[in-house]
Amino acid sequence: MLAWKLKAQRQGYFTQDEWRTGLKELRVDSISKLKKALPELEKEVGKPSNYDNFYSYAFRYCLTEEMQKSVDIESICELLNLVLGAQFRPQVDLLIEYLKVQSDYKVINLDQWINFLRFCQEINFPDLENYDATQAWPLILDNFVDWMREKHSSF
Amino acid sequence: MSNQKKRNFQIEAFKHRVVVDPKYSEKTWNILEHAIHEIYNHNASGLSFEELYRNAYNMVLHKFGDKLYSGLVTTMTAHLKEISKAIEAAQGGLFLEELNRKWNDHNKALQMIRDILMYMDRTYIPNSRKTPVHELGLNLWRDNIIHSSKIHSRLLSTLLELVHRERTGEVIDRGLMRNVIKMLMDLGSSVYQEDFEKPFLEVSAEFYKGESQKFIECCDCGDYLKKAERRLNEEIERVTHYLDAKSEAKITNVVEKEMIANHMLRLVHMENSGLVNMLLDDKYEDLGRMYNLFRRVPNGLLTIRDVMTSHLRETGKQLVTDPERLKDPVEFVQRLLDEKDKYDNIISLAFSNDKTFQNALNSSFEYFINLNPRSPEFISLFVDDKLRKGLKGVSEEDVEIILDKVMMLFRYLQEKDVFEKYYKQHLAKRLLSGKTVSDDAERSLIVKLKTECGYQFTSKLEGMFTDMKTSQDTMQGFYGCHPELADGPTLVVQVLTTGSWPTQPSITCNLPAEMSALCEKFRSYYLGTHTGRRLSWQTNMGTADIKAIFGKGQKHELNVSTYQMCVLMLFNNADRLSYKEIEQATEIPASDLKRCLQSMACVKGKNVLRKEPMSKDIGEDDAFFVNDKFTSKFYKVKIGTVVAQKESEPEKQETRQRVEEDRKPQIEAAIVRIMKSRRVLDHNNIIAEVTKQLQSRFLANPTEIKKRIESLIERDFLERDNNDRKLYRYLA
Repeated sequence: MLAWKLKAQRQGYFTQDEWRTGLKELRVDSISKLKKALPELEKEVGKPSNYDNFYSYAFRYCLTEEMQKSVDIESICELLNLVLGAQFRPQVDLLIEYLKVQSDYKVINLDQWINFLRFCQEINFPDLENYDATQAWPLILDNFVDWMREKHSSF
Repeated sequence: MSNQKKRNFQIEAFKHRVVVDPKYSEKTWNILEHAIHEIYNHNASGLSFEELYRNAYNMVLHKFGDKLYSGLVTTMTAHLKEISKAIEAAQGGLFLEELNRKWNDHNKALQMIRDILMYMDRTYIPNSRKTPVHELGLNLWRDNIIHSSKIHSRLLSTLLELVHRERTGEVIDRGLMRNVIKMLMDLGSSVYQEDFEKPFLEVSAEFYKGESQKFIECCDCGDYLKKAERRLNEEIERVTHYLDAKSEAKITNVVEKEMIANHMLRLVHMENSGLVNMLLDDKYEDLGRMYNLFRRVPNGLLTIRDVMTSHLRETGKQLVTDPERLKDPVEFVQRLLDEKDKYDNIISLAFSNDKTFQNALNSSFEYFINLNPRSPEFISLFVDDKLRKGLKGVSEEDVEIILDKVMMLFRYLQEKDVFEKYYKQHLAKRLLSGKTVSDDAERSLIVKLKTECGYQFTSKLEGMFTDMKTSQDTMQGFYGCHPELADGPTLVVQVLTTGSWPTQPSITCNLPAEMSALCEKFRSYYLGTHTGRRLSWQTNMGTADIKAIFGKGQKHELNVSTYQMCVLMLFNNADRLSYKEIEQATEIPASDLKRCLQSMACVKGKNVLRKEPMSKDIGEDDAFFVNDKFTSKFYKVKIGTVVAQKESEPEKQETRQRVEEDRKPQIEAAIVRIMKSRRVLDHNNIIAEVTKQLQSRFLANPTEIKKRIESLIERDFLERDNNDRKLYRYLA
């Protein structure tokens, strides 16, 4: 979150400019103030207008190489946990399980990542009733829904 | 001399001194009344028309029209009542005759009366809005005779009785019927309808309900339909003879409803004689009758069509999934063609070429042909068989007919690209082995395919033909340049352009020395005239003719594949060779080598080699010798294995996979084309458009399309719209 607010370009690094400009915006100049500012920051991130931005930033944050377009499955699972875990716990748990089990995709691209969020926001869980595979959902989510439905029917 | 006194002469109108006799009207009326009596009593001859007319005229003139009219009504009514009694008294069969006779009399009388009273008809009646004389006469007849309680029901039941008798086979007096019915029609259409037609229709419905029930219990479908047709024609004839023409539609409706509509399903599904049996046995006459009868009733043709369609689909499905049939592809396709011919005949001979039936036939064929994923391959094999030998000696027109039929089956295929792949393979084999029966037939089929599918479909095929021609010219040039080679082995090279021919992995084997030298000479000749090209020898596709002399001096010419030639040539320098030695020397891939050795050592009549041990399979440790005892009836012996065959399972999988791979770029190209022109489009519409564009080649799978879209998104050709997730946008 801090990286997002500071608009850090590289994962794990803050440039001096980013540090200065960002902290100024947070109105923070000491560690204790930074600690206090964090809950506020969390709220700010949670605002719908900022959330999409934050969310796609989180993905791009993981693109360490130049020209890299996709992130490996393991990192994605971690990222999902971090970013969406609080708000969409059941979806995230199942999604992570599925991603680990399936073998069609070894990496996830930005398009699929963005649709994960939309999926959690728009689709009823866990019944998945309003999911329509003939719509423009990425294939990985179609497969996820099939997998979920199979799981449920085998009870 | 003028008299100064002028007297005014007044000329007065001459006044008739008409004596207004108070009894005048009475007297005049009596005369007329008497006349009417006489007319009704057939004594009109003694009357003077002129006198009567004048009397009537005077009455009207002197304003006694009322009396005249009412007198007429009274008199006529009285007479009619008499007549009514007379008719009622008639017994049995005479009733109708009496009625008819009296009706004729009445009409004649009415005519005369009308003539006499014409002045009244023309002046008094319109002015006082009373019914004209003729009409009055009819109305009075109607009220006093037809609607008289004693006559009304008797008349109706008599008429219906006669109709019934005629229906059961008796002969009745049609003339009498016609006159009586005409009488009812003349009295007004409501009289005809209420007093005859309606009850007639009801009774007929009852009658035919019973008839149909009786027949359907004991007749088979064909017989029943014959009877129904006969009854229908009877009724139509009845109408023309003695009923109002307007009744025809109504009575035919009754017959159609009772005899056909009510029993439609039972007839169609009748065991052993219903529609399906008729179709199976090509009963054109019965089918035609059924068609003509059923088209008269609502949903009649629909019923026939539905039953025919489901039967066709069932039969077709069995045809294409029957494992026995699938063993011989040529048989398989021939059966399909036969089935199509059968139904074409039925539709043209029995169903009068009805378009909707044609459509049902087409959709059924399309349905079941595509149930078997090997149909494209089999159709190509059928064509291959025909072009190799089936069309030998067949006239040009017949060739065209057969090819057109094949095209028709081709049109039903959903996976036309699979057909293309197989057709290319089979065509390549035909061309390279020189085994095509008629060049013209080949060309003709290509033209038909081009007309059907467009230039792109056939451009590669045409390329293949061009290569063959070009190669001929090249060979001439080669031997022209190297006349010294004329004595050595004759080389025939076909240079194939890679893009046009089906791709094969090219593994060169080791050619015998004589051949490899010659091939090198050809390569340098060719590359001399065509710089910038690369040649690779396809040793798995060639053939060779070699002369061989066996142990006892038998001379034969062997027609073999290139691989086989390489193996055989080795034996010029060795008597015994082990499998491993052969493999090493020729470098032919193992599976091909095994097949090659098998065909020369283990097949009766072609065993130019001897194998130890004598087993059917080729083992790694086997040893081979020339079979000195080889004999054959023929001088020329063919051992090659280049005929197109039904693919084995693994080959089939491979081809299918290649087809799937080929489809991916086609789908992507279609997506890009569509998005480029539309710029922004939603998901469902893209799927629909892409499917439509590719329809002429294959049926695109929506999931596959989705995969391609995602791939294009990843490669930044498309993007999703930020606000509306269903929209895609084209990225220039």
